[in-house]
Parts: sequence; structure tokens; C-alpha cells
Amino acid sequence: MDVELRDIDKTFGAVHANVGINLKVPAGTIQGLLGENGAGKSTLMKILSGFIRADAGEILLDGHPVIIHSPADAIQHGVGMLHQDPLDIPPMRVIDNFILGRKGGLTIGHAAAERDYKRLAEEFSFSIDPDSYVDALTVGERQQLEILRLIWLGAKALIFDEPTTGISAAQKVKLFTALRLLASQGKTILFVSHKLEDVEGLCSRVAVLRQGILVGEAKQPYTTKNLVEMMFGKEISVGARDPCAGDGKTNLSLRDLSVEDYRLKVQNVSLEVCCGEVIGLAGMEGSGQGLFLRSVAGLVRTVGGHIFLNDTDLTGHSYHAFKRLGAAFLPAARLEEGLATGMSLTEHIVLAEEAHGFFIDWDKGRELTRKRIADFNIHGTPASPVESLSGGNQQRALLALLREPLSLLLLEHPTRGLDIESTIYIWSKLKDRCREGTCILFISSDLEEILQYSDRVLVFFSGKVTKPLESKSLSIEKLGELIGGKGWPESTSGKSK
Amino acid sequence: MRKNVLTIALLAMTIVLVLTACGPAATTVAPATSVPPTSVPSTQVAATLPPVPTVTPAPFIFGMLLVGAKNDNGWSQATYDGGLYVEQQIAGSKMLYLENVYSGSPSYPGLTASQLADQLVSQGAKLIFFNSDDMKDEALKFANANPKIYVVGVSDDWTWKDGKNYTVSANQVDIMGRMEYMKMIAGCAAALTTQTGKIGFLGPLINDETRRLAASAYLGAKYCWSQVLGKDATKLTFTVTWIGFWFNIPGVTADPTQVADNFFNTGYDVVISGIDTTEALVEAEKAKTAGKAVWALAYDYKTNCGVAPDICLGVPYFNWGPAFAATAKTAVDGTFAENFQWNGPDWTNLSNPDTGAVGFAKGQGLSADNGTKLDAFIAQLAAGLNLWTGPINLQDGTAYLTAGTVATDQQIWYLPQLLEGMEGASVPSK
Amino acid sequence: MKKNSWINVGFQVGALVVALLITTLLLVAAGAPPLKAYASIISGAFGSSNNIENILITWSPLLLTTAGVLITFSAGLWNIGIEGQMTLGAIFATGVLRALQNTQLPPALIIILGILAGVIGGALWAALAGALKTFGGVNEIFGGLGLNFVSTALTIYLVFGPWKRPGVGSMSGTQPFDEKLWLPSLPHTELSLWALGISLLVIIAVYFMLRGTHLGLRLKAVGKNSKAAFLMGVPTWQYSMFAFLLCGAFAGLSGAIQVTSVYHRLLPNISNGYGFLGLLVAMLINYQALWAAPIAFFFAAVNIGSVQLQIQYKLDSSFAGVLQDLLVLLVLLGEGARQRFIKKG
Repeated sequence: MDVELRDIDKTFGAVHANVGINLKVPAGTIQGLLGENGAGKSTLMKILSGFIRADAGEILLDGHPVIIHSPADAIQHGVGMLHQDPLDIPPMRVIDNFILGRKGGLTIGHAAAERDYKRLAEEFSFSIDPDSYVDALTVGERQQLEILRLIWLGAKALIFDEPTTGISAAQKVKLFTALRLLASQGKTILFVSHKLEDVEGLCSRVAVLRQGILVGEAKQPYTTKNLVEMMFGKEISVGARDPCAGDGKTNLSLRDLSVEDYRLKVQNVSLEVCCGEVIGLAGMEGSGQGLFLRSVAGLVRTVGGHIFLNDTDLTGHSYHAFKRLGAAFLPAARLEEGLATGMSLTEHIVLAEEAHGFFIDWDKGRELTRKRIADFNIHGTPASPVESLSGGNQQRALLALLREPLSLLLLEHPTRGLDIESTIYIWSKLKDRCREGTCILFISSDLEEILQYSDRVLVFFSGKVTKPLESKSLSIEKLGELIGGKGWPESTSGKSK
Repeated sequence: MRKNVLTIALLAMTIVLVLTACGPAATTVAPATSVPPTSVPSTQVAATLPPVPTVTPAPFIFGMLLVGAKNDNGWSQATYDGGLYVEQQIAGSKMLYLENVYSGSPSYPGLTASQLADQLVSQGAKLIFFNSDDMKDEALKFANANPKIYVVGVSDDWTWKDGKNYTVSANQVDIMGRMEYMKMIAGCAAALTTQTGKIGFLGPLINDETRRLAASAYLGAKYCWSQVLGKDATKLTFTVTWIGFWFNIPGVTADPTQVADNFFNTGYDVVISGIDTTEALVEAEKAKTAGKAVWALAYDYKTNCGVAPDICLGVPYFNWGPAFAATAKTAVDGTFAENFQWNGPDWTNLSNPDTGAVGFAKGQGLSADNGTKLDAFIAQLAAGLNLWTGPINLQDGTAYLTAGTVATDQQIWYLPQLLEGMEGASVPSK
Repeated sequence: MKKNSWINVGFQVGALVVALLITTLLLVAAGAPPLKAYASIISGAFGSSNNIENILITWSPLLLTTAGVLITFSAGLWNIGIEGQMTLGAIFATGVLRALQNTQLPPALIIILGILAGVIGGALWAALAGALKTFGGVNEIFGGLGLNFVSTALTIYLVFGPWKRPGVGSMSGTQPFDEKLWLPSLPHTELSLWALGISLLVIIAVYFMLRGTHLGLRLKAVGKNSKAAFLMGVPTWQYSMFAFLLCGAFAGLSGAIQVTSVYHRLLPNISNGYGFLGLLVAMLINYQALWAAPIAFFFAAVNIGSVQLQIQYKLDSSFAGVLQDLLVLLVLLGEGARQRFIKKG
């Protein structure tokens, strides 16, 4: 299906999110849409998919002007969108979620739907049990489910908003294969990303947005420098690897730590972490690294072993006991677990600080918030509700909530969904923490990020964990193999259940 | 969001206030529906109406708080009719009323009976009838708080100098009818009619009043069973089941429909109603339709048998009009004085609307033969037969009246238990 | 910003006008002249000093329940069980007064102990709902509804059973307490300045607590996102529980005041729907404590004034409830419409 956007304009309050954007995408194309956070990519795609209405402009599908009132409307016209945060309803079975959204009257039975589901899943080489529950799926798996669902609903143009964030390398390969297959079937793919590498590798054409304006288009082959300039208006070089030099004192000590949930067992992990050290946790989504990280935060009860933080045995204690000893955990799901929708930045800052007295000194709170906003380069005001911030600003806000000093910082996907500039900025802040003696454990699906910022790496595969590996001794290839389950010694410290 | 939500509410009040400002103007345009203040001197009225020479008296407004609905076919309707009778008897008088006034009534969340009486007073009422024992405390409280308003406590005993609860309340009159006699007649009709010898009494709540009325019905039943029919008194079963209030309040009281059904399903073939509403009659009719030979006796309201005439043996009823009107007249002419009235029937004509305080109307369910026997019994009562004469033992066996002793009014009014031979709770046991 | 606030006002006025319009249509349909009917409500509410006193009497419990639900709402909880909590407050207060009425203790002390017992009773009942929610996973709406039924059954049991009036078995309530155990009130009314003063103090305290204290901010965080609040260091279930306890304490206080200053006894339905009315008030003011007092006063005035609708126009006095419900419903609808409007605009 040919998709054309004409003079699309959209304003949110003082923010001009889309300025008269024109874009033509022929059928069978994988069209990239590049831009840093807040450039207006998501807004444009939400207009196309019916989530929001443009102030002006029109949408043409196969040359015919259409008016799209709602996402349901969009899918009727053959336009489907996969969101950055999957919009499915967690406490449901996969198959029910799949059927959800189908127009009534067709009375497709479960059996028929399940047949369709299995056929489609096979076609795209996805393997998710239709009877499992959605809340047990990884982000990558939820995305696969959503792709199947939209195709089943008859989508002819598919929009992907930052699809490679939060999924593993292997899932990314699967995703790209699926996208190429879809394009070869004549479907139109709109691929929204801020990752140059992904866009360069996948898209036949790319359009770049900056501050709401479509600043340029390019076709393969691309020159990276050109794209980066279009995105940021200036060239940015990825910083050289800069390992933290700790003072050698042991900060966090894990002895034969074991933790399990209904799917996985992670067993007998031993690890000594020095002040200022950064440990990267690599692995496909759901390989046990998330469980492990949360157990080190006291958020998940361990089933064996001991956790010492600054020589205090915290085994079996709650997160708040960890927190009192200087630990902090930042979740990946920013708006679900990290920030409270409906509350302002000031309220968050005041909440996160240690309370003095009974009454709040709001003037002092606002003052502190203004300082943090400046320190962390957050685009917002003390009164801004957190949900009004873009993803990168939310992540910076989360970091801004951390108290000083910290002895242990645990991060899930600290830069997921962020542009390069934000990523670099956030890591510079994290490195500052390391210099103050904080040790960091972080999960990332971005292998480059793991190698670049970690001193040592633990690789997870189905609950198995490697010994701590010096990142100096690792390469992307070696890491990728381990993540994919290759090159493991016969007897390992964990096993899958 | 926004303080503005509040602006809303303030606006609401403002608008309503503006509307109010228009209100009085509208009333003067349409005087027919408005209630002129009673305090307006008649000379002023004459001045505004120069061509009319006759001086119209200021209308007398009185209020009535009804425990139930004014058309409940029972207690509340009987007192409401008493109010209508007052309107008839006193020219220019007007009744204001509120229905469903009882403790915790959802009709007036959080409002007490005395607060509701305030609302009647603010419409000009000079005399307030509190029609139920449920408002007994409220009536006294209101009377004390409003010395310039006259109060009638229907069925209360605050002003009974020889009663247990006498309290000085100068602006209050308490009125009750001697329903005991009519309940005896009802009991007699039940005993004459029952085939199984099992009579059920559908009781409201338990207090002095309901005990004495249930006991009176039993005395009448026992007398006619043994003296008129000549049967063995020990073979008569007379059971009282209380529901907990004057009428059904779902979730709070027992359900009178179920209680009545229960009687009919366990061999009781006559049920005497002691509650304000008509469940006993309705259920008896249903049981009869289903093939059972059963009857019921209504209560409170003269035409209550009309609900289910075929199975109705009769109705002992109140005729409040004469007492209400007499009391209201004293309020009009300023001679109102604290007193207690326990008014009896007019034995010369039980159904005279202008005389007796209580009456009995026979129902179509009563056979002609039994009707004759009942008339004979009524004649005996009129001639001075007093069933409240010893020997009478209380339910627990203690002697209450020795042989030949006639009960005093206090002994009847404040009966502490049901009587020996009656089944059912004398005092609440739940 | 300016433009938006005018839009807000526009929607609210719109909601109000629609509410009045529907009410007016209902009045017309019921055969009452609308303007005069409104006028009669006003005169019923403000027409005499007695009536104004009556508004103040009903204002007090409504302020307390509103204060309570503002706290639980803030913590993201629908404390439907507030009616039962109020009832338990009344039961506990009655229990203490009954136990101590024949002792030599000074009456003032007995009253204070009774009211404190009411506070504790309400809080305990709320703690039960809170525990069901926190430890049993029972939604507080269902738990609260269930506990409301239990509290009603308990009252009926006590009124007909152990606490019955001597020789009486009626739902009219327990034996009224001796006048010395009444909360002091203005002469010839049930208007207790103590009750009113305490209620106003409570609502003011709640306003400041929600607006300017760490406690209030943490409750709000738990309400907005308990996971995030937990990660930011708030012991979430303890705060939920605290919200329940505090709301229950205020509800219990309200019940105790009904016993000590209005009814002077325990009777079924002593909560009189004040808890639900408090929920309505809280929704109408969008949980802004600042407005609780005037709106609760307005609701109390409507409750009192609309008795005139029955006296003068034979309308069922539950008309007051219809008016209140309509107002809340339409303001909520208006708010929804406003948000849609703003999004599209």
C-alpha cells in the first residue's frame, strides 16, 4: 500500500511537534524514520495510526485521502502500529490477546484463530506458546505477538516505533528477517528509530526529523556522517572506552546466590564487586539477568546464598533495607515502575529525598528540582508532570531522583530508547557516580553498550551464568555467541528448569 | 485539575440563590398556591381586600409526621385520615405531612424527626402530630425545644400523670385508643373460625403496647374458644412472632410475608395482624387460592379488609378523628393543656366516625353463624364483660392478677410479659 | 494557560447548567413549579435559624467522612467500607458509654472515652478492609461492601439483642443515654459546637496534610503508582494501611458524634449514607481538600432544604439525592469531555 502524508501539522501546547511534514512511501518499501528523542517521529506515526489527530494536513492511502479517527479506524484502512511500550493487556493469554481487536460479527472460533496464529507464527519463525500469559513474555516476544496480530487483522502498512530497543540481538535478527519478508509481500514498513546502525542495515530509504521538521531524506547507500548531521545538526563521536578505576575495596559481595521464579533457576552465583566497578549483565531477554538483578536489589527473595553490601549481610532483607545501605534500583519500565504518572518533577524529587520534619518545604523542593533539571539536562519545569516528558527526559529524571552518595546502583536498560546524545550523557553521569565509589550492575541488550561501559560482564543464558568475564577479553562476536548459547563449558553454575 | 471545579459548585449555589430571589415574587403573583403567613393580622388582610367585609380567620396549619406511607392501609393511613377529619372539622385548617419518618429512614438521610418537625414549623405549622412510638423520644424533645408549638404524641405516655414515664411537657398531649377491646373481638373471631386450633399473631416490634394488644387478642380468643365454643382451653395454640418493627424494612426486620407464610405452612389457619401493613391478608389470600382453608384479621385501618375480603374475618381499627379534632380545637382557641387520653370505643355504635376512638368492622370471611356469636360477644363486652380480670398469670407462670382482681390501667398498659398460654417471645431474646 | 482556564470554567458551568436543566425537567415532570421548588429548597435550608442549625448538624459528619475518603482516594483506594467504619464507630462509642454510664467517672471523661472508642472502632474496621486488601488480595470495594453488611447485621443484633431497651424489641434503637452523657450542644438543638469544631479541624488538618506534608506526598505517590513509590523508598502497604486507618478513624469519629450528639443512642442505619455522600463530595471536588467544606455544606443544605419538596409538592424527598448524584455525574462527564476537547484542540 502506498502511504502519503501531506502537510501534517501538530502542536501540543507550546511544542510544535510536526511542522508541515510531507512524506511519500511506496508499497513494498522499508522506510526509515530517524531522529533524536522528541524530534516528532512518534507523533507523526501516531497521527498516521489514528492515536492522535493532526491539526492540519491529510493522509492518502493508495492515492485516496482518508480520515482516520481511531486506531480501530486505522486498522480498517490497513494501517497498524507497534508501540515503543507494547499496548497489550498483560493478564491475558497470548491467544486471547491475539483475537482481541478483531471486528465483531465474524465469530471466528478459538480453534480457527489458533490455527491462523500457528500458521503465521511459523511463517515468521516466531515461537510463542499461544496458551502462555502475556505478562510472562519478554518485550521482544510481545512485539512478535503484536506483529502477528496486526497482520492477521489485515494490516498492509505497519509502523514500528523503536522496535529494536529492549529486545535481544537474536530477536532483532528475527525481527529484521520478518520485516524484509513483509516488504517482499508488498507491505509498507515504517521503521522509527534513532539507531543509525539499524536503519542503515534495514531500510531502503530514510527520512530524518529534527525538532518537528523533516530535514532531509536519503537512500541506500548512506553515509553515516550525513545522517548524524541531519539528526543532530552536528557530528557526534562515540566516546572511547573509559573503564572505571575503583579503589579496590570490595563493595558488593555475592556468595553462592540462588534465585528462581516459575520459569527459571539462577544458581550459585558468586561475585565480588569493588567500589567504582561496572558489571554488565548480558543475555537474551528473560535469560535470568532480570531476576538476578532484582534479587541483588532485595526485590526478589533469594533461595540460597548470601548478599553482603558494605560487609553487612542483607540476605533476605527487603529492598528498603538495601536502600538504607545505599543501594538503588532503576527499572526499565519507566512509567510503570519508576515514575508516578500525574505527579510533577518536584513531587518526585521531594519524595525521593530524605524527609526532614513533617511539613514539606516546597520552596526548597522547587529549588532542588531546578538544580537537578539543570544538572541532568531535563527538558521540563519543576511543575511538569513526568508523563509529559519524552523518554530520554524521563530516564534522566529517574537518574536525577537518585540520592547521594550511593554504594550500589542497579539499572535495567539504562539507555533503552534513548538517542546517542542522551546515552552518552547518561553514562557520563553514571561514570561520575563510579568515581564517587558507587558500583554499578546494569542490564542491556545493546552489546556495544555492555562492552563499552562494563569492567566485567556476566552472560546469562536460560538461567545459566558465566563466571565474571573481563570485558577487555571479550568481543561482540564472542559475547553474541555466549548470549546465543554457544561456547558454554559443559558444567555451568546454573541450569534451566 | 483545578480549583475551577469548585467555581462550579459556588456557581450552583449562586444560581439557586438567584432563583430563590425570584421565588417570593412568583408566590405573590399566584396566591392560590402560597401559604400566607399565619401571623399576618386580619386587619391587614382586610386592608388589602377593602370590598370584602367578612373577616376571614387566619388558617390553622398543623403538621403530621407519619411513620409509614399515608396510604399504607394501616396505622399511618388511619392517623392521616384523622388529620383529614381535623381539616373537615376546623374550617380553614390545613395539614402538612411527611411520610416514612422513622429512625434511620433512607428518605431523610441523617435527619431526625424533630428536625423534620422544624421543617413543618417553618411552613407555619402550630401543632405537630408525631404518629408513632418510634418518634416517642423525638416528640418529647421537640416539645421541650419548641414551647410555642403544640405537640401530640400518638400512642405516647409522657403526659400520663399515673404512668411510669410522666414528664412535664406543658405543650404536649398524648393520645391512644383502647384497642384492647377490639383486639379481644379479633381474637374471638379467630377462635370461632379456626379449624386447627392454631392462631398466629403477626407481631411488629416488642414493647408495652404490642404486648398488651397481643395479650388482649389472646384473652378474646381464649374466652370464645372455651366459653362460647366450650372447647378445652389447653387445646388452643396462640403463637406470637415478632418482625422487629411496625412494617417490613428489608435487611433490618424479619420479612412479614415469610412470617405469615410460615404460619400457614405449619398448621396455623388464622393469622391476626399486628403490624401496620397488609402482608398477613395478602399471604392468606394466596394460601387460600392454593387451596388452604385459612383466614386473617386485619388491623389499624377501617377498610383494611378490602385488600383481601374473602379471607378477612374483620378489622379492629382506630378512629383518630374525634380526638385529634378536639385537641386541635384547643390549639386553635388557646386552651391547649398537657393531658393524656386513652379513649375507648362508642359501644352504642362501634362504627360511628364521630364518636369512638376504636372500632371493629366484620369481614366477609366470617361465617354468618360466627358473626352472630361475635355480635353476642361484643354485646357482652359492651355490657361490662372485662377479660382483664384475674386469675391471670404471666407467661413465665408468675401470678399477675389474682382471681377476681380487675386489672388497673397501669397493669394493662405496662404489661411486662405475654400471658400464660401464649407462645412467643415476651421480651426480645435475639 | 488563560485560554485553558476559561475552557475549564466553560465546561464546568456547562455541566452545572445541564444538571440544573435535568433537575428542572424532572421537577416539571413531577408536576412541581421548578422555580418555586428551588425557592422552597432554599427556604427549607436557610429559612429559619432552626433549619440552619440542622444544616450545621448534618455538615459535621459529612465533613468527617469526606476528610476520610480524601485520604484513601489520595492513596488510590476506594474505601466503600466507610459506611461500616462509621457504624463501628457508633457501636464502639455506644459500648463505652453503656459500660461507663453507671460509674462515678465524670461525664465529660466518659464522653471523651466514648468518642475515642469510636475512633478506634472505625479504624479497626478499616484495618480489616485494609488487611483483606493487603494480605488477602481482596479488592477494597468488595471487602468494604462485605464489611458494611456485617456492620449492619452487628448493629441489628445489638439493638435487638444485648443492648435492647428493657422490655422492648424494636429497631428504634437502644435506650437513649442520660442527658449528662450528651455532647454539650446549643440549647434546644442537637447542634454541638464541639462536633462542628472537631470536624472543621479535621478537614483543615487533612487539607494541610495532603498539600504540605511528606506523609501526604507519600500517600499520593502510593496512589499514583505504588511500584514507583516503593522503589523511591515508600513502604507502600504500610501507607495503604495507614490511609485505611486514618479514614476509618475519621469515619469512626463521625459515628461516635452521631451517638453522642445527635441520636444519643445506637440505631440501625446510623451511618445514614454519610459515607457514600462523602465519596460523592470528594469526587465532585476532584479530591481537592480545599473545597471539601463548602461543598459538604452545600450537600447538607440540599439534604435539609429538599424536605420542603415533600411537604409542599409531595415529591419524594430522595429528590435531594437525585440532584446530588446528577451534579457529580455531570461534572465528571464534563471533565471527561473537557479532556477530550483539550486533546483534540
